[in-house]
Amino acid sequence: MNKFLKTLIPFDIAKGLAITGTHFAKVFLTANRRKVPLHVVSEYPEVPAKLQPRFRGRLTMLKDDAGEIKCVCCMACVKICPTQVISIEAGKKEGRKTKVPTRYDFEMERCIFCELCVESCGFDSIILNHQFELAVYNREDMSLSMDGQFQNMFGISPVAKFSVADEEK
Amino acid sequence: MPTPTLTQSLVIALLQAILVVVFIFVVVPLTLYAERKVLGYLQLRLGATRVAGSLTGLTGFINRNMWKLGKVPMLSYWRGIVMLVGDILKMILKEDILPTKADKFVFFIAPAISFCASVIVFAAISFVPGTLFTLPAWVPIIGGLPVSGAIGDVNVGLLWILGVASVGVYGIVLAGWASNSKYPLLGGLRSGAQIVSYEVPLTLSLLAPVVMSGSLQFGEISRGMAVGLPFWGIVPQFLGFFIYLTCGFAETNRLPFDMPEAENELVAGFHTEYSGMKFGFFYLAEYINMVVVAALASAFFLGGPWLMPFGLHGLLNPFFSAHLPALLVPFLCQPHAIFFVVKIIFLLFVYIWVRGTIPRYRYDQVMAIAWKYLIPLTLVNLLLAAAVRYCCAV
Repeated sequence: MNKFLKTLIPFDIAKGLAITGTHFAKVFLTANRRKVPLHVVSEYPEVPAKLQPRFRGRLTMLKDDAGEIKCVCCMACVKICPTQVISIEAGKKEGRKTKVPTRYDFEMERCIFCELCVESCGFDSIILNHQFELAVYNREDMSLSMDGQFQNMFGISPVAKFSVADEEK
Repeated sequence: MPTPTLTQSLVIALLQAILVVVFIFVVVPLTLYAERKVLGYLQLRLGATRVAGSLTGLTGFINRNMWKLGKVPMLSYWRGIVMLVGDILKMILKEDILPTKADKFVFFIAPAISFCASVIVFAAISFVPGTLFTLPAWVPIIGGLPVSGAIGDVNVGLLWILGVASVGVYGIVLAGWASNSKYPLLGGLRSGAQIVSYEVPLTLSLLAPVVMSGSLQFGEISRGMAVGLPFWGIVPQFLGFFIYLTCGFAETNRLPFDMPEAENELVAGFHTEYSGMKFGFFYLAEYINMVVVAALASAFFLGGPWLMPFGLHGLLNPFFSAHLPALLVPFLCQPHAIFFVVKIIFLLFVYIWVRGTIPRYRYDQVMAIAWKYLIPLTLVNLLLAAAVRYCCAV
């Protein structure tokens, strides 16, 4: 009898309609208007994508407060890198006890963004930043180094605004 | 008022037919667009927000150039409103494929049957009681004549609507047969069985308004359900309304009853082999059927198509006619087609709402609902209607 009544009077359908109706009202009234959207999808190209804190983007070198490069050329990242995309040339600098890199090359083409280099680094001198829009038109733009005015290991990549190939002309 | 001659009345009928076609071709793309957006909102998405800039076409051209300038192409992005045109253009421009082993004539005629059957139904639906508008005197042939709100509000209007609407099944079954392929055949057969089964409770639930108003004429039933009762039409016909709506979903092959188009079992059902504008006609027919079902529901159950809901007209009219500006009086104080259209739009929203909420039933469940539950319920409802008719005799 109970089952018969349940079949006859569709409470569950009413409940479902109430849920979706609330969703509709919420999203309809707040779409394009609120800072914190109620819809779950992102509007990526127009609105910058939200990333989790542990997102692994491009490899970046850090400098300390005095503007000195933190890296001391211990080669831990070079040794642990599974695809061998990092190559470092160590050098000396006046007034600094530790070594300082004269060359720090990073081949992004082969990088698998595993973050092993960052974990192995004992001096917190490299991080993976939050940049994920890394597509380029020329292969050369994938090779990053310490020098380079626009495209270097310190800032974020100037995607689609600068290319090494353009500079050479 | 002069009596129109035969030629004049034919020309007026043609004019009305053109108006109906215009109405259809305005409503259908809007419904398509609304379906995308509303379905998105129901599921906490945003629906269509842009027209994809393909490599060809105007939007693609504009999008690419704006991206090159470093700007977000807002023109084609504005809440996907370009979809209104995009859908129709896509259907017209796509290649029309004819399967080699298909029965060519039947393959060609099936979408036409489906489409015509759904459009012809509009002949008996009256948008306004009496005159829609009077033509100005300078119009040749038909100047100064009134154009009525219905093409032909015939005495057997409901019979006409139900009869012609069920001809649409032929289109679906023939399409399934003529494609000469397994999936369309199965889809067509399922659809045929489903629609024939649901025709029974649909007709029985529409019989209740007929009993209560004592007529088969569309305008007369609407009038009976609107002003012939001491309360709003849905109150005594609550059960009937929901049975009718359920059967309407099944009749128009919408979710949760879209058996003929069950994607995971039957590819695309009866129109698997169709493409281009032939497929477009099936698509159009489905959406026009939705409008027809919504129109009937608003006419027979929601208290007359041309009046405000909840019987507000009777309550508000003394207030309105005294205080409103004269411009608004004919819109808000008299029966008007606007309320009809608003009710249709609301019911179309309910269609999409239900589609976004309830998953599809199994085939045997669909049949069980029709034969084991809906038909007995409609008979109970019919008794109820007869009782109401007996108690408050019009």
